[in-house]
Amino acid sequence: MHYGMVIDLKRCVGCQACTIACKAENGTPPGVMYTKVLDQVSGEFPNVRKQFVPVLCNHCVNAPCQRVCPTGATYKREDGLVLVDHDKCMGCRACYVACPYNNRIFLKRGKLKSGYHGKVFTPYEAVKYKEHQDGIVEKCKFCSHRVDQGLKPACVQTCPADARIFGDLDDPESKVSRLIRSRGGVQPLSEDSTEPSVYYLS
Amino acid sequence: MSRIMPLVGNEYVLGFRKQLEWSGLIASAFFFGKIGAGLFMMSVYTESRLGMLIGLTIVLGGKGGAHMLFLGKPWRFWRGMSQPGTSWVSRGLWAMTFMTVFGGAALILPAGSTLFMPLAIIAAFFAFIVAVYDGFLLTSSNAIPIWNTALMPVMCMFYAFLGGTTLTLFLTHFGIIPPSIIEPVLSTVETILLAVNLAIVFLYLITCINSGGARKKSFELLVKGPYAVAFFSLAIGLGLIFTLVMTVISGSHAGPGVVAMVTVADLIGHYLIFFLFLRAGVFKPVFGLLKI
Repeated sequence: MHYGMVIDLKRCVGCQACTIACKAENGTPPGVMYTKVLDQVSGEFPNVRKQFVPVLCNHCVNAPCQRVCPTGATYKREDGLVLVDHDKCMGCRACYVACPYNNRIFLKRGKLKSGYHGKVFTPYEAVKYKEHQDGIVEKCKFCSHRVDQGLKPACVQTCPADARIFGDLDDPESKVSRLIRSRGGVQPLSEDSTEPSVYYLS
Repeated sequence: MSRIMPLVGNEYVLGFRKQLEWSGLIASAFFFGKIGAGLFMMSVYTESRLGMLIGLTIVLGGKGGAHMLFLGKPWRFWRGMSQPGTSWVSRGLWAMTFMTVFGGAALILPAGSTLFMPLAIIAAFFAFIVAVYDGFLLTSSNAIPIWNTALMPVMCMFYAFLGGTTLTLFLTHFGIIPPSIIEPVLSTVETILLAVNLAIVFLYLITCINSGGARKKSFELLVKGPYAVAFFSLAIGLGLIFTLVMTVISGSHAGPGVVAMVTVADLIGHYLIFFLFLRAGVFKPVFGLLKI
């Protein structure tokens, strides 16, 4: 079993529903996004094109963040998920500078003392902020808590354009494997030999 | 590609992204680590106990203190020792620990003890690792191409030797540590190290000129962008060229004012050059060479 994701750039409409679904699922504080949709404008007037590129932790097979972590807080599960043990992280940010995709987020000290409405927490924030710690590095978990229950990650579940597909990369008949095969899925920064588990279709 | 892609911070735009986390405190830790370890190594060579003590204090108080202030969870620092097989942060922490243990043991021995020199040499070996490991730490980051060069550890090593020599010269000149090496020799070593450092920095910049992508972006930040004034005037001009000229002109006859000025200029340049290298760190765009 090796979980992975395929992102179809032709389908993404840049609505940021995945960004919001992720925030709702994980209850992250303001400014902390495990996933987001970047955009790129290319070409010259009048032939201008706008492209949306969803980004998230790539759960690399050769994860540089795991290699450089001095505490062993970043670890890899047998199903390919790269996770962070919040109780082990000391906040040195070596993983932040090692991740070529810049997909790690450091929660500054005091970050959890205020929410979206200042120092007064909504009941939801009061519950969800207990799952976080400030002074450590966090990142996308491929919604491991949902995956363990047989559910899809929140961003995949929510995407209205079906641009994100989640599945087992080891199974040649899974939808992700078939899409990568038929449409030539490419891994971001493949020249860095990190072997990301996220593939893009263009 | 580097002309088309913008340089961005946290905006939702595809482009070269600046690293925003490693900055002043990490630069301070690198700085104190190098000058402290450099002074310690020089003091072991000159058999100066006071110099060793000052070097060890700079490493423990300066480098250790800066790291503790930087860490998000400082009381968990001991966990950082658990992965020396793969992590340069772990290796650096172990080197600091061994340097402290062996250096401390050598220093508490009575004068004339036969164990002093063996313990001091072992501590100096670990001081050498403390001096250079941050270079390997930066080199090991493929994500930020301007750091990912074999010249980084070499530069760290020579800056540590330079910092150690400068401080030894200063402490000797002002009578804080006894003059075990005659000052003309120290002045000559200082001049050679300044010239070597200048050559290495020049070589480092040359390798960036013909590069592309993120390294080129970083290079542009250093030489044309917001950091150019500080880089050329303070890191290179004051830290290397001014000190080199002053050392060559005054030679071994420098007065206290000149020695103090050269020391301050050298330390300012030393701190700033690594601070600016950290600040100029730029990640590659998410798709790298891939066209979408």
